[in-house]
Amino acid sequence: MAAIDITSARKSYGSVDVLHGVDLAIGDGEFVVLVGPSGCGKSTLLRMIAGLEEITSGEIAIGGRRVNDLPPKDRDIAMVFQSYALYPHMTVAENMSYSLKLRRTPKERITAAITVAAAKLGLDQLTERRPKALSGGQRQRVAMGRAIVRNPKAFLFDEPLSNLDARLREQMRVEIKKLHKDLGATSIYVTHDQIEAMTLADRIVAMNGGVVQQVGSPLDLYDRPANLFVAGFIGSPAMNMIPAIYRLVDGTGVAAVAGGHHLPLAGPFSIPDGTAVVIGVRPEHVTVSPPGSGGLRTAVDLVEPTGFGSILHLGPFGQPVKAFTLDRALGRNGAAVDVTFDPAQLHVFTEADGRRMDPAA
Amino acid sequence: MTALVASRRRPFLQRLAQASEPWLYTAPALILIVAVMLVPLVLGVSYAFRDIKLLNPFSGGFVGLKHFEALATDQAFRTALVNTLWWTGASVLIQFVFGLILALLLNQPFRGRAVAQALCFLPWAVPSFLTGLDWAWLFNPVIGPLPHWFVALGLMETPQSILSDPDLAMWGPIAANVWWGIPFFAITLLAALQAIPKDLYEAAAIDGAGPIERFRSITLPFLAPTIAITILLRTVWISNFADLIVVMTNGGPADRTQIVASYIFTTAFRRLDFGYASAIALVLLVLLLTYSMLIVLLRQSFLKRG
Repeated sequence: MAAIDITSARKSYGSVDVLHGVDLAIGDGEFVVLVGPSGCGKSTLLRMIAGLEEITSGEIAIGGRRVNDLPPKDRDIAMVFQSYALYPHMTVAENMSYSLKLRRTPKERITAAITVAAAKLGLDQLTERRPKALSGGQRQRVAMGRAIVRNPKAFLFDEPLSNLDARLREQMRVEIKKLHKDLGATSIYVTHDQIEAMTLADRIVAMNGGVVQQVGSPLDLYDRPANLFVAGFIGSPAMNMIPAIYRLVDGTGVAAVAGGHHLPLAGPFSIPDGTAVVIGVRPEHVTVSPPGSGGLRTAVDLVEPTGFGSILHLGPFGQPVKAFTLDRALGRNGAAVDVTFDPAQLHVFTEADGRRMDPAA
Repeated sequence: MTALVASRRRPFLQRLAQASEPWLYTAPALILIVAVMLVPLVLGVSYAFRDIKLLNPFSGGFVGLKHFEALATDQAFRTALVNTLWWTGASVLIQFVFGLILALLLNQPFRGRAVAQALCFLPWAVPSFLTGLDWAWLFNPVIGPLPHWFVALGLMETPQSILSDPDLAMWGPIAANVWWGIPFFAITLLAALQAIPKDLYEAAAIDGAGPIERFRSITLPFLAPTIAITILLRTVWISNFADLIVVMTNGGPADRTQIVASYIFTTAFRRLDFGYASAIALVLLVLLLTYSMLIVLLRQSFLKRG
């Protein structure tokens, strides 16, 4: 187990910069998820930690030791690949013992380590099979077993669940979380799936365009996204983004939206009157009630039932807005509903740079 | 069971039509194969048991196993058989080793790799007769540079053609054959190399495997089926491949480079004894079939393990 410290790590391919100076301190035993869309540099960062990509500048230290110039095998880390990368001509046991064999571990210790890992992952009956004869979930488990037997300083996961179907992904997610609880190993997990990020992470690192956008606990990122990118990326269905003009009316802030409507905000903001802003509101914070309850009258354009609740596509003030409601009776196409917004649940971002604004105290 | 009973009750013609249906569908292909492959094969095999000499108008009769009896005591055939082993073994082995090295080099990323790949595959496109002539000239002390280089390197006392030295003559055609055949191994092995997932090498690097260990535990197992099949193909082709020898040495000096294939060629087209040539060819065919079966079995066991 070890802490991992990344200091202004950069990566460029020729003149193309893919990582623009990442600073990140990962504590001993922490589970950190790097999340972001394809091409945001999250996998590159992980591969730099593993030693599979060179570091253009900056420093990466594992357990207090600078590893920039160490080859992967000397960094004492284990990695689980998206494709599992199992050796097809070796049995499950051989796959898991390969690294130990290369380290000239005594035979009894190898056998013991494999027995323990296989039991932990439910692979006891499969140790003599080849990867070809395993299902996707079983292969995934072997890949994790290969990492566990080494007892490394840190586990690196590169989108390990992307090749599994939805049901299996959910199941493996829980297993990974349990495993982390058992082993308490420092883990870095790369994914583009924000649900995986939310459910697994102690801390999430949201990345976009080679820049870290926000670092924080899952609920931090959900409740207080630092900018428009994080607001839009975290959460499903995605947050509504409503363009508006910030106005100061009677000492409190309001958002002037299309159609001359004003949405009251949680207080005055330290931005000049007339600033262009984007109002973000999560679908579950758009309150929908039967007509006549007060609020903006609008029609339901489309209903997406999820079973648990319904996602309503609405168009108050001529803007598409999604609302999530548990009241099935409201979810009828073409029905009229009234919509209200809780000022405390409206996120304000400047339009110019997408930064989050908080009410002035 | 019920289906079987039902089909027995159908009228005869209907059953006949049903049974012949697949044969009728495949008939065009089958007829072509029989006409193009089987007929000449059977004809050729039949020659081995007949006395066919082009210069003797009264020949053509059935002679039974006479050719094979002659073969059993034919010293030239025995020499040719040993030479064939030597020629095939050395050519295939050296081609394979250089082809593998070339494929591994071409699999590395470097500037101008596409051009290098195209250039490396060029020899394969040169006609074999031209290759033979080229190399014969290269070994010629009057117009070729190679003998002079050998002298400069201290390998030879005076510049002379190795093609006329009974102890070294075989190396001439082998050198030409190696130059000509490396691209075949390089192409097929490069294709197989490129099919190996990169993650496996990365996983192995993290697991602690160095370059040699990665080659041993990932590259070789992945290449094994391709290696088996290419070596099989090349062995059969090269043992049948008389062009270079006929062009460069014509089997000489003193039969020292005569292989079975060139012996067949000489017997058939110089001595015009087609019956005897067919008998030799039949023996070669049986030997190669046996060898192929062995390699195919080996490959199957490899594939089963992978």
